[in-house]
Amino acid sequence: MLLSPEVLAIQILNFIFLIFAIVALILSIKIYKYWDINSTSNTQYKLEKQSFLAASIIKYIFALKLPLFLFFIFTLDKISAQLTGAMCAAGVVDATDYGSYLFILKIFNIYIFGAWLIIHNIDINKENLPYTKQKFALFIFIFFTLLIEIILEFTMFASIDLNMLVSCCGTIYSSAASSSTSSIFTFNSSLIVSIFYILLVSQIIITFFQKYTNIKYLFSLVNILFFLVAISSLISFFGTYIYELPTHHCPFCFLQKEYHYIGYLIYSLLFAGTFFGITVSIVKSNQKYYKLSSIFNSLYTLLVSSYVILFYIKNGVWL
Amino acid sequence: MIELKNITKIYEANKHNKVTALDNINLKFNEGELIVLKGSSGSGKSTILSLIAALSKPTSGEVIVDDKRISKLPDNFASLYRREHIGFIFQKYNLIPTLSVKENILLPLIPNNPDENECDFKLKTVLDKFNISHKKDSIVKNLSGGEQQRVAISRALINDPKIIIADEPTANLDEKLSLDFCDILKNLKTQNKTIIVATHDPIFFDLEFVDKIIEIKNGTII
Repeated sequence: MLLSPEVLAIQILNFIFLIFAIVALILSIKIYKYWDINSTSNTQYKLEKQSFLAASIIKYIFALKLPLFLFFIFTLDKISAQLTGAMCAAGVVDATDYGSYLFILKIFNIYIFGAWLIIHNIDINKENLPYTKQKFALFIFIFFTLLIEIILEFTMFASIDLNMLVSCCGTIYSSAASSSTSSIFTFNSSLIVSIFYILLVSQIIITFFQKYTNIKYLFSLVNILFFLVAISSLISFFGTYIYELPTHHCPFCFLQKEYHYIGYLIYSLLFAGTFFGITVSIVKSNQKYYKLSSIFNSLYTLLVSSYVILFYIKNGVWL
Repeated sequence: MIELKNITKIYEANKHNKVTALDNINLKFNEGELIVLKGSSGSGKSTILSLIAALSKPTSGEVIVDDKRISKLPDNFASLYRREHIGFIFQKYNLIPTLSVKENILLPLIPNNPDENECDFKLKTVLDKFNISHKKDSIVKNLSGGEQQRVAISRALINDPKIIIADEPTANLDEKLSLDFCDILKNLKTQNKTIIVATHDPIFFDLEFVDKIIEIKNGTII
């Protein structure tokens, strides 16, 4: 097992999270089964106290897991130096059979952890705690996604073989590769970029119609598509302008120092924008989320587009 | 109106150490009434006060104040309820000894972030009412017991609460100051405040303006 200080920190934190999450799971099952806000019985008063404890545990686990995703990428990036052939986090992700699944699950969990935090926030700000049962039911589901994530993370770090030759990102993210990510290159990058901008404009137009209740579902759907297309366009088009290399498509290298860690800002903006965009469907008073989503997604677009424009201004050609 | 319905309160230090402070009690107080809760130490008087003030929750049963089930309120809403509706006068005053009279009295207003004029107006009103204007800038620990209590009353009233709760308010006062305190209560009653006093001081039992005297023994009403 690879035991760099960062990996060790992640594993210890995961172990602590797991212990607390088990406590929260036991309480969540009890709350889900017996919760009755109108009851004045001893059981209900106890559950109200326990719900506060369980919600606090869950809140802190999730609030820590969100920034830890960036730390996870940072760790992958750092240990890539120890793997022969790996140039960045992409090589580490690709080094085992579990890396890609773990990565996708982590992204899914980020969104679902965030959604739980928002539901919790709405719940505790209403006198009758209207979403308590639902939020703990959601946690029972989330516990298993968290558990799978922790198991996958442990397995991935445990199965990294330092003597094995791994692929570098140039190979993984290339049109010549046969991996699932290379399927992005079967689409014309101009088409992907056009869809990317159309989706951003669509979101902004939809915000003007937010008084229609059902439009929120369309807004969320557009945000899910925007996320997928944003990642695709980042790999196939915008990334090349960040690297100023027409053949380099890696979505990880720009997280490194050479690129001023700009990847962290890029991904934070994209995650925040699409997260708030998806959230409008689960929140009743959602005007704030429409606004936040539009702001973050626009900032993301401005940031990645600025690389293209600056490159053209500097060099007078497109890649 | 304040209603306590089937209230039981058990303090549980551990599984083998349980104290039943209140045992299935029912009480109803009307607006503007002055109620005295009488009983020896440990009878459950203070527990009733803390339940009405939403400082603690019952083990079972409910507390309803003006149709609001306050025993079911989450902590953040319970704090809001206390801030808006309850003025609490403690036996030992619970003032902050190193702050001035003015600062102690204005404390309950801080969460509302009021403007300076509003603060000054409210402060002047209570200081004048309780005759402590001249001590406005004195540090609380340098005041006499009677003065400290008037500061505590001023602090309890600065938010103009509808319900005033006093827990053994005369325990640290001599007879003259206790009678002064009774005069203050009489005056507050004329302002239609609901006042609940928990005490074992006999001075309260013969007051003509007291509406109800409720005796509590071992967590039950006699």
